[in-house]
Amino acid sequence: MKTTTSKKVLIDASKIMTEALVQSGADVFVGYPITPSNLFYSYSKERFPEFLAGPDEISVLQWMAGYAAAGKLPVTATSFPGLALMTESLNMAFMMELPMVIVLVQRLGPSTGSATTGAQGDLKFLEGVISGGFSLPIFSPSNFNDAWTLSREAVKTAIKFRTPVVILTSKEMVMTQKSFDINSLEKLKKVDRTPKDFEPPYQPYKAGKDMVPTFYPLGNKQYQVRLNSSTHAADGLIHKGSPESMQNTIRLRDKLNLRVDEFSFYELDAEDGAKDLIVSWGITADTARDAIKNLRASNKKVSLLIVKTILPVPQAIYDIIDSYETVTFAEENLTGQYKQLLVGKRTSSKYKMVNKFGSMIEPSEIEKMVNFK
Amino acid sequence: MEAEKILTKAKMPFCPGCGHIVNTRSITKALQDLGYGTKDVVMVSDIGCSGLVDPLFASHTIHGLHGRSPALGVGVALGLNNSKKKVIVIQGDGGATIGLQHILEASRRNIDLTLVVFNNLLFGMTGGQVSGLSTNHFKDYKQSADNAEPYDIVSLAHKAGAAFSIRVNDMKHFNEVLKEAIGTPGFSLVEMTSLCTSYSMKKMSEFQYYTVDEERLVNDRRIGFTRVRKTKSLFKNIDGLSAQFPSNYKNRIGVVIAGSAGGGVQSAAVMLAQAGMLAGLHVSMKGEYPITVGTGFSVAEVILSKEKIHFTGLEKPNVMLVVTDDGWNKVSARVSEEATVFVDAKIRVNHSSKTRDFVKVAGKKGAALSAVSHWLKESGIFPVEALEKVVENHKYAEALLSAIRSAERL
Repeated sequence: MKTTTSKKVLIDASKIMTEALVQSGADVFVGYPITPSNLFYSYSKERFPEFLAGPDEISVLQWMAGYAAAGKLPVTATSFPGLALMTESLNMAFMMELPMVIVLVQRLGPSTGSATTGAQGDLKFLEGVISGGFSLPIFSPSNFNDAWTLSREAVKTAIKFRTPVVILTSKEMVMTQKSFDINSLEKLKKVDRTPKDFEPPYQPYKAGKDMVPTFYPLGNKQYQVRLNSSTHAADGLIHKGSPESMQNTIRLRDKLNLRVDEFSFYELDAEDGAKDLIVSWGITADTARDAIKNLRASNKKVSLLIVKTILPVPQAIYDIIDSYETVTFAEENLTGQYKQLLVGKRTSSKYKMVNKFGSMIEPSEIEKMVNFK
Repeated sequence: MEAEKILTKAKMPFCPGCGHIVNTRSITKALQDLGYGTKDVVMVSDIGCSGLVDPLFASHTIHGLHGRSPALGVGVALGLNNSKKKVIVIQGDGGATIGLQHILEASRRNIDLTLVVFNNLLFGMTGGQVSGLSTNHFKDYKQSADNAEPYDIVSLAHKAGAAFSIRVNDMKHFNEVLKEAIGTPGFSLVEMTSLCTSYSMKKMSEFQYYTVDEERLVNDRRIGFTRVRKTKSLFKNIDGLSAQFPSNYKNRIGVVIAGSAGGGVQSAAVMLAQAGMLAGLHVSMKGEYPITVGTGFSVAEVILSKEKIHFTGLEKPNVMLVVTDDGWNKVSARVSEEATVFVDAKIRVNHSSKTRDFVKVAGKKGAALSAVSHWLKESGIFPVEALEKVVENHKYAEALLSAIRSAERL
């Protein structure tokens, strides 16, 4: 429910997201400091019911997995170098089907790059971060309102689908302060974690039609729980090469890909009669909002698609881009990572790219590309 | 009532004669002797031959990554936060080597769990390669060229703070040692020497020659814990900044404030942004400074706009307020003909900037705020009183007000 009086404050998205995560029921923040994610660390120290300073990023993800296995909802925030260290453990958490939220604050790479410069360069890494190319749910906020709602959706999706979820953002989103009416934000409730019904006997990885097994934590008095990072069957034990265990792994793909409509978020600002579409995400989306306003002011018919569920790709995204004659992808990287994700590396007259490295894309740069024939 | 059996009837997955068989039986027996039921125990396993134990335990089990199981166990133990539950972690000597940091961290924090290291001096699953726990006698036997002494993980864990750490080579003592370790509150480590019949000696009597002497170390320490707290909303203590000053400004203006670390540049920018909000404008503010925040330049960008701000970039600033050489060196390339530029009189510039004695009238710490105040007065974008209003309840209100008012002397 929205409150009626406004409360305008000067605030950054790190604070908005931290508050939203806790209100949604996140229990513990496990952190290792890394720029530009440090505001999450300091706000979480103040706000999370439980806070732990990990000694390194591998430990961070392992501790989070332990907490999640014990029934808690853990959160961390990092940037590329941290995520690189977390990668094997992230695969483990995915395989064990443990809910958790990882906020990835992109900064300029490769390698340690420039820690205090924003970027949108980690999408392709995330696309392949799970061996086998399985998709994790990846959300990317385009403004402060998204920062709030997508944090809630991240917690919800992590619990509902028993999976790690990544919120993919950038330095410019989480370290820039803006005037913002915090009373315009919907009050959030803790996501319900009551174990759903199952057909007895309980097995930790036995799933029904919804493809997601019922979760009981380690240490519970009712049912034996076996969690496993290696290829396993419904009983949580290794049965190398058995059809049942292979099917269990295939289910990890299907539970997210076949149900992506339940967590598909995007914003289509469609102009009647427009043949050109601008597509953007994350920190460049707000630039695209300005560009579209300017283009329309000069009587250009153009539509805007802002993608918020980055992976798995919702079918609706393909349907939208298929219905336009030209599609301009605007993102702050040199290689057009989201464009590649949707339509590959191959160039075509239909697809245009606005890319930049080391500073934010300006509205005029998008406008020029859309106007260019 | 008969104790629940922790050991299942599953077939032992190990080679005939493998030490892991005795080790596993000893752990399950110790747990039963201590009265633990199957649902009271969480068994955390690693990778390697020792990682095959899950089906042998009728307890809860979790099978993780190579070397990381002590860290996973720490998460489970802290997450459960229940002294009636027992977390047992099992790993081999290879796992203890690659994950040494996790053992030290669990020891340092004295987390309530028992780590049992099945030390057969080698990597059994990958062909008998030596590990960081392989002794030099054993490496000679394996014709391995290096002569580095093995890690003494019992001593390392002890020095890092483990409540109890022990090495035991004689299987007759396995049960009593495990009971003592499991019964110790806090972090306990048991290194058990075990045979690998495929890649090392077949008999324990031969094997003993290659092992490190037994050792038992104790620290009297409090169990590690984390606090679970009730916390308040991060939004609770932020002041609302509703419009209370007039502004006739209709457009968007980008202001760059540049100076040196410690000179109040970032806080002056925040105050300008907040004052803009009191004048009913939309604002954004971002800072830029070197990684070493205490030295070098400090630059802040503030956008003030009648319209809602989407794009927060500022390639061409409309206004630049520069108070030190550090700041000028960082931002001078961004100066354009159209920009209004105020620089401190002491900065040498080749530019038609307006020079003012900001540092002279307000000191090093007040110069940036003085410059903001001066520009507000000159531009008339909104009244300087909005800036004064922002600082009136500040801890250092007097000094800040003095910096703002110093602009009158420019």
